[in-house]
Formats: sequence, C-alpha cells, structure tokens
Amino acid sequence: MMILEAKDLNYYYQDGDKRRYILKDTSVSFEKGKFYTILGQSGSGKTTLLSLLSALDSPHGGTVLFNDEDIKKIGYEKYRRNNVGIIFQSYNLIPTFTAVENVLIPMSITENDIPEDVKTVAYNLLDYIGIVQSKADRPVNKLSGGEQQRVAIARALATNVELILADEPTGNLDEEMEQEIIDIFKKMAHEHDKCVVVVTHSNEIAVQSDQAYLLRKGVLSSYE
Amino acid sequence: MNFIKRGFLGITRNKGKSLILLAVIFILGNLISGAISIQQATSNVESNIKERLGAAATVEIDYEELDALSEAELMETEIEDIDIDLIKQIGELSYVKYYDYNMSTSLGSESIESYQGEDMEDLVQFGPSMDFMMKGINYAPVLDFEEEKAKLVDGRVFNEEEVENGTSVAIISQKLAELNNLHVGDTFTLSNMVFTYDDETGEEEIVTSRDVVLEVIGLFESQTLKEDAGEDSEDGMFDFMDMDYQNTIYVPNEIVRSETEYYWEELLKSDEEFAEMMEAEGEDSSFEYYTPMFVLNNPEDSEAFEEEVAPLLPKLYTVVSATDQYDSIAGPVESMSKLAKYVLAAAVIATVLIIGLVVLLFLRDRKRELGIYLSLGERRGRVVGQILIEVMVVALIGITLSLFSGNFIAGQVSDTMMKADHNTSQDEMMYFSEIQTNLTTEDVLDSYEVSLNSSYILIFYGIGLLTILISTVIPLVYILRLNPKKILM
Repeated sequence: MMILEAKDLNYYYQDGDKRRYILKDTSVSFEKGKFYTILGQSGSGKTTLLSLLSALDSPHGGTVLFNDEDIKKIGYEKYRRNNVGIIFQSYNLIPTFTAVENVLIPMSITENDIPEDVKTVAYNLLDYIGIVQSKADRPVNKLSGGEQQRVAIARALATNVELILADEPTGNLDEEMEQEIIDIFKKMAHEHDKCVVVVTHSNEIAVQSDQAYLLRKGVLSSYE
Repeated sequence: MNFIKRGFLGITRNKGKSLILLAVIFILGNLISGAISIQQATSNVESNIKERLGAAATVEIDYEELDALSEAELMETEIEDIDIDLIKQIGELSYVKYYDYNMSTSLGSESIESYQGEDMEDLVQFGPSMDFMMKGINYAPVLDFEEEKAKLVDGRVFNEEEVENGTSVAIISQKLAELNNLHVGDTFTLSNMVFTYDDETGEEEIVTSRDVVLEVIGLFESQTLKEDAGEDSEDGMFDFMDMDYQNTIYVPNEIVRSETEYYWEELLKSDEEFAEMMEAEGEDSSFEYYTPMFVLNNPEDSEAFEEEVAPLLPKLYTVVSATDQYDSIAGPVESMSKLAKYVLAAAVIATVLIIGLVVLLFLRDRKRELGIYLSLGERRGRVVGQILIEVMVVALIGITLSLFSGNFIAGQVSDTMMKADHNTSQDEMMYFSEIQTNLTTEDVLDSYEVSLNSSYILIFYGIGLLTILISTVIPLVYILRLNPKKILM
C-alpha cells in the first residue's frame, strides 16, 4: 500500500542567470512495510530529496503526496509533527537532556494518539531499541555514537508514525553498529509495517533493502 | 514534555548561562530600580509638600516683571486695580472651592491693650499705636477658619446679612480677649486715627480720630503658628508673626472700607499739598483696594487655574499659588528627580541593548536545539514561548533581587547627593507675597524618603519585565527565520 509519492520534483540553485538542477522531474513512490534505500554519491542530491520528502524544505516544482494528500496542503509543520519520523546522520539530540527526555519531546508536540503514561512508553521504546533504563536517564552526550543514534530512532518512532526517513543514519558509526541499526530499520518495516526510507552512500546497506534507488545527477533510477 | 517544562529545564540544565543572564539582569535591574525609587520618592515629596502648602491662590502684582521694566517704561506704566467683578469672575471658575477678598487697615485703641507676645511686655512704643489689624472679609464663614489657619473656639462666625450690611461685629483672638477680659457679646472700641508727619520735627501728630465700636461675636485661636511653636520658638520672626496675628480683628469688608474712606477724606482735608497731588493724578478712589484669595479644590489644579486666569488679568498682574513656592524650596529634590529620569531612560535603553545582545548570543549558541524542535514539527510560537519562559523566569528572579538592593542603594546615593546639592545651592531673591509659607528646603529634604511601597513595586516590576520582554522579543525574530534543513542537514 503506497504511503508516500514524489511527483516530478524539481529543485535547483540559482547561479546567476542559470539554474543548477539538483533534482529534475524526479518521481518515486514508497509503500508501507518496506525498507527502501536511496543510494548516491556526495552531492548527488539524495539529502535534498530526503529534505523534500520530510518537508524540511519545499520543492521548486512537483508535489509530495502522503496517503495521496499533498503535504503542502497538510502543512509542512503539521506533516512533520504527525506523519513522519526523521533520523539524521549527526543524531541531532538535545545534549542537555537525557535520552528519555529527548524521546518525550516529540510525544508532547504531536497530535497523534499517544498512551497517557508517556514516560513508560518512552522507556519501553528505548528498551526495545536497545537502551536500558540506566542509560535512558543519562544525558545523551554521555552515550556512545551508536547509542545516540538508537535514541534518535526511538525519538522518530515515539509519535507512532508510519513513515521513517533517515539521512545517512550510519555515517558516523562503525560497521558492527551500522548493521545493528540497519537491523532495527528492517524490523520496523517488516514487523511493524512501517515505511523506512534511508538515504545512504553505502552499497552494503543498499543491498539489504527491499528496494534501492540510485540518484545520479538529479535523476533517480532503480538500483539492482 | 511541553514547551513550558522545556523552558524550566532549559534554565536548570544551562546553569552557567542562566547565572550570566541573572547577573546582567540584576545589575541593570539595580539601575532601573534605583531610578524608579528616586522618582517615586521625589514625586511623593512633591505631593506631600504641595498638600502642606495648601491649595490657596491669589492675584497680585508681578514684581519680577515690574523689576524688569526700564525707568522710562515704568513711568509710562499705569497699574490698574483688581476690581471686584474680576475677582467674582475668577471665583466662579470650576477650580475654585471658595474665595474671599479682603480689605485691611490698621487701627489703634485707647480702651484695649494689644497683645505683645509672651516675652515682649517691655516693648517701648514710639508715636501713635496702630497695633490692631482690621481684616475685612466677604466670605462669611471666614476663609482662614475654613483653611484651618485658625479655629473658632467660642461664639460664631459672621452671617451673610452682617457681611452685606457691614454690621459692627468682630471676631478676635482668644489671647487678645483674655488680655482685655473680653467675652462673646461684649463690645470694645478701636480708634481710627488720622495723623500727619512733620518733616521738620519728625513727629507724628494726631489730626482727628473717630471711635469704631465692635461687638465680639467669636473668638479664634491660631492653628498654624501654634503647631510650629515648638520648632520655631527661638525664632524672633515667629513671635512677631504670632503677635501680629493675635491682634488681627476679623470684621465685614464694609467696615474696613468705611473706615478707610474716613481716613483718606480726613487726611486729604488736613494735608492740602497731598490733596492737590492726588487730585492731579485722579486717584480719588484709590483707597479701595481688595486682596483676593481663592482656595482651589485640589493643589493639583493650580497650574490649570493659573493658565485660565492669566488672560483675564490686567497688565503686570500674575497668579500666585501656594504650590508655586514648591519650586523655590525643592531645588535639590527637583534636580534629583531630573537625574533619576535620565538614569531611568539610559538604564532602559542599556537593558534593551545588553539583554537583547545576550539573548541573541545564547540563541545562536542553541541554534541546533531550536532547529531540532522545528524539525519535529513544533510550532514556532511555542519555541518562542519556551525561550521567553527561560528569560522571563530568570528576569523575575533578577528583578526581585534588585528590587531591594536598588531601593537601598537609591536611598544611600540620593541622600548624599541631595545634601551636597543643598549645601551648594544659593538663596534666591524673595518678594513678599500674600501667600507665605514657613516650609523650608529642610522640610522638603526631611519628607524625602526612599521606601518600598506597593506602587514602587508594581511600577518597577512593570517597567523591568516589559523592558526585558522587549529586549527578548527582538532577538526572537531570529527563531522565526530559522530553517531547520540548513541547521540540521
């Protein structure tokens, strides 16, 4: 079942009189219960594509549909609040807060139905991702890189969204940790019926996904 | 974890920054608090002293303007009298509570003794004695009693009929009555003496006189002089003023007018040279001169009253109100008030700039955190709210601390400065006025008190928090312009 669709996306930088296209008429769709990867080299436009899919930026042309509804109509802020979980390469956790506090933040922002005992939900979620309670109560800057990325994943899942978008989530991690994180994504897609889209430059990750795309010079194609 | 809780956590988790912000707000808060304390104290002094000065006003010759005229201008200038119609017109203004106009003359007496003060029995008198000041009134309840300059201790005040007909009734001081064994209902006699002055011998000679028989209808006791007796008992001026007032006899204006008319007529008869001079100048009715006195509803009305009356007055006349004297005795307080005004303005501007800069620096430092909230879909308004909570809670603590310290410092600083200012200030030239006060700069300084009262606390919190709110809101525009993609990706 299709959850997210990009139609004829265009994105460019103005360079004097010329337009330098990052994405040119790019179209792609994603389904629930699948783990996707978008492969590309640095500067290929994969992060731009993710920023458009996550409504952190708006395209110069084309539309992004979430459950067949234009995310512009939903409202970018509302879409991020209720429909998508975003995971960044550099974790982007709030360093002065503990792991559990970081997970609690989106739960207070979203309008989705969240169980009343949010703290228990947050601890359980962290535990499920591999962060035990003793670590959950530590400030995140006292955790390792892998642990911080797990907290970031827990934060993305905390609002009970169906769509997870991740930008180079294993870019700062070693190989062992990378595999653990990819396993979590696969589990999310296959066991919890989420749609997980990961932007990466790693072939090893791409080959493990249900569907991989290659982005080259702003043009997206299937990657076998 | 909603934005309010995040705001409070932001304060406790960023202790260093919160303490820096607290210190800056505390220092600037002291400046604002000090300036407001001084302003409040000076404004309290102003209302307190103006209240004590009373709400009286009169119309009299502007001596300062007269002094400024050249000799030639002075020769050409004719000073008109204030006529009763004008006094009545002014008296009908809405600012006026009640008013009176008085004509006074001095009379002597052979049958009663004048009061010469407690320690002045041995005063030697030269020439004919004219110790009794007959003060005519038109306002039957007597303005001086209404204004508590004196209190009626026995008998009654005048009635309208007595005032209108010029009935021979009088209210005298209790001391004068005791001295002459007079009671309410008794009569006493004054002498309206007309005398000439011999240029060669330097002696005064009584030409003629007539008796003025008055019935005592009331006795009064001085209030203002009595109150201050303890403080000023060593002052000779006080004894003189007391003596003068104890010998004042309140009568209807018509009696004074009639006695003055008699005096002038007899004087002109006895002195031909003077009579010719008066005839040449055409001032045959110049003996009838009334001094108006208006009591306003409120001392605060003085300025508006002066503005309304000034255009009605003849040339060279001015309105003098009791509150005018505030300016001449409140120099040090006035200069302190001005200084406080400038300090307050400077402190508010400095606070807006400094706190604004500090908040902006802190926000730049937390750019990533703010970007995270936005990427999670948090409304920008709530992110702004979180920062406002963080700054305003710290501001509330800083301002509360500086409320007390600023007030204390203001008390110390202003005390020292006012004393220094008072010591270096010079006396100004004073003119005699119908409205006189015994209040001095010392009284003003004594009533100056920097205190913690509810209005000061409210004003300080209001100005302090509003200033910090403005200085926080300006850098918060920064948040509204943040692009989470640029920060996080």
